[in-house]
Amino acid sequence: MLEVRNLRKSFGNKKVLNGIDFVVNKGDIIGIIGPSGCGKSTLLRCINMLEKPTSGEIVFAGNNLVDDESHTETRRRIGMVFQQFNLFNHMTVLDNIILSPVLLGILKKEEAINQAKKLLKEIDLEEIINSYPHQLSGGQKQRVAIIRTLMMKPEIILFDEPTSALDPEMIGEVTNLMRKLANEGMTMLVVSHEMNFIKNFCNRVIFLSEGKIREQGPSKELFNNPKTDKLKSFLSKINNY
Amino acid sequence: MKKKIIILVLFLLLLCGCGEKKEKLILATEAGFAPYEYYSNGEIVGVDIDIAKRIAKELNMELVIKDVAFDSIISEVKTEKSDIGAAGISFTEERQKEVDFTDSYSESKQILIVNSSSSINGINEINKVAVQLGSVADSFITEQYPSINIIREKKFLAAIEDLKDNKVDAVVMDELPATKLITKNMLILSDPLVVDSYGMIVKKGNKELLSVANKVINELKSTGEIDQYLLNHMGINETNKSNSSIKDRFYNSVIYDGRYKYIIQGLTNTILIALGAVLIGILLGTISAITRNINENTGKLKIISKLSKAYVDIIRGTPSTLQLMIIYYVIFKQTNINIVLVGILAFGINSGAYVSEIIRAGISSIDKGQWEAGYALGLSYFPIMNKIILPQAIKNILPALGNEFITLVKETSIGAYIGIVELTKASDIIASRTYDYFFPLILIAIIYLVITICLSKLISLMEKRLNNARS
Repeated sequence: MLEVRNLRKSFGNKKVLNGIDFVVNKGDIIGIIGPSGCGKSTLLRCINMLEKPTSGEIVFAGNNLVDDESHTETRRRIGMVFQQFNLFNHMTVLDNIILSPVLLGILKKEEAINQAKKLLKEIDLEEIINSYPHQLSGGQKQRVAIIRTLMMKPEIILFDEPTSALDPEMIGEVTNLMRKLANEGMTMLVVSHEMNFIKNFCNRVIFLSEGKIREQGPSKELFNNPKTDKLKSFLSKINNY
Repeated sequence: MKKKIIILVLFLLLLCGCGEKKEKLILATEAGFAPYEYYSNGEIVGVDIDIAKRIAKELNMELVIKDVAFDSIISEVKTEKSDIGAAGISFTEERQKEVDFTDSYSESKQILIVNSSSSINGINEINKVAVQLGSVADSFITEQYPSINIIREKKFLAAIEDLKDNKVDAVVMDELPATKLITKNMLILSDPLVVDSYGMIVKKGNKELLSVANKVINELKSTGEIDQYLLNHMGINETNKSNSSIKDRFYNSVIYDGRYKYIIQGLTNTILIALGAVLIGILLGTISAITRNINENTGKLKIISKLSKAYVDIIRGTPSTLQLMIIYYVIFKQTNINIVLVGILAFGINSGAYVSEIIRAGISSIDKGQWEAGYALGLSYFPIMNKIILPQAIKNILPALGNEFITLVKETSIGAYIGIVELTKASDIIASRTYDYFFPLILIAIIYLVITICLSKLISLMEKRLNNARS
């Protein structure tokens, strides 16, 4: 359903992505790992065109997104969850969640409110529906952000280090919600430093280093039998830590 | 119905009749010869006008002033277009053949004031002289001594200040005010430069008017009222001395002659201009800031955004006084536009540039993640701007706008450059009448302070409410 072909991205003279190719099929849960600065986040941001690729193709549902004039339509179908949550600070949880579907006419306000309540209730967050973001814990914020994305009924969700800004005891709240989505068959791309979570959660892992895919394959295989020196040294550093 | 109309018409006719009842005494003059006749606040005033009013009163007539060229005054009187002529006209044989002169009502003695420490003995030793712009002294020196460097001040007092500071060698002015103005370190050279006797003129043979005019003139001369007129029009009022008590000075600066009206007018204009300008500024600033933001975010509106940037750069890079003068003297040169309106426009255009930067700063203070979250949810530029960015940015923008308004209130004081009577100009007008600069300036400063302190209080209240609204 999503194919990335020879994707390149430079910031000035700095080449961040240097020819990336991979395919995402429906129901895939793909982890993207690699040392910091390897271009993981940039890759995710290129997929929903928050960064404009320098060259290459991103084909989604038969369309090359790089050529599109407007990205609003595809962005509804490709959700994104940010490291810093990016909830709208001046709105309540409910308003955060229903803003976009109501503005875009996807749902009527009544429907959106009911849907929001239902989703919040499923993860026991209905009591914070009228709270403002600054009143929430990090784990609550990120779960609200995920629900906000879910309201758009996306076909893929991109997770950009969703647990990196959380206190350790809150990581579970967020990963549990992600597991729930996985069970419901959601397609996901996850950039994360939580190697255990990636190893157990993803069915495929892409190892990125210096703007290139160095190794990819089923997650257990990749973690247990790394083939390249780069991945070996990356994993050993992580394990020692 | 018909009856009502007839009654109304009759009533109107009656009204017209009443208005016409007083006959008119037409005075020909050339207003540009202070203190005898000159424009003040759009009206022709002066010693000649004061005397002419008394003559008209004596005749139970209404005085009508006709401002013509000096050379035409005699023909105006000869052809009966005007009844009487007065413009500091000195007696000459030539003129006496054409018209009849009244008795002399004023003797103008132009004298030299020098610093006591200087060795100057006469006009020929002088290089640089200060005079009042458009005064008898000004035209006399300009015509008779073209080689002397002339500093033309708006007021005699400023000319005296120039002498005190040794910026000039001497001051030339009428003897009467000179005796009131000089300090103990100055002296009046005894030989007058020129003595002129002025009379009014009437058509030859108009004995009736001539005798009434002479009667009035002699009466005013004997009571000393003409001297008082002269002093009044030179801005020197004997009742005002800077060593008088605060109460007297308050009375002279504010109450006497309805001078508080200038302050009220000034205050009204200051507030009107500041308010109007801040509204125009918000409009222009928003347009400018948003077009630039659209360009930065979407790459659209390239040319408009460049223009917006040029506008901000030009306005912020040039003095506001200059902008005001260019708008008034260059752009609105031909049009007969209300001067306060020009002020509102000029200050509005000026303020717009600063408001633009305030709004831009407010927008860029919002975390980039808010934009990205909006885009990632499929929203486009305007919904994100309206629903997400501006509602948050407004908390930073509003207090800064309040400060801009405070700045504007103070900046309107340069409106005086193009003749707007705002607060500062009002104090200047009062001071020019009383020669007491201290009191009106302090008074106006206090008024500014009260306005700005109130505004500051309002702004901090607003900030508090905005901060509370967040939680």
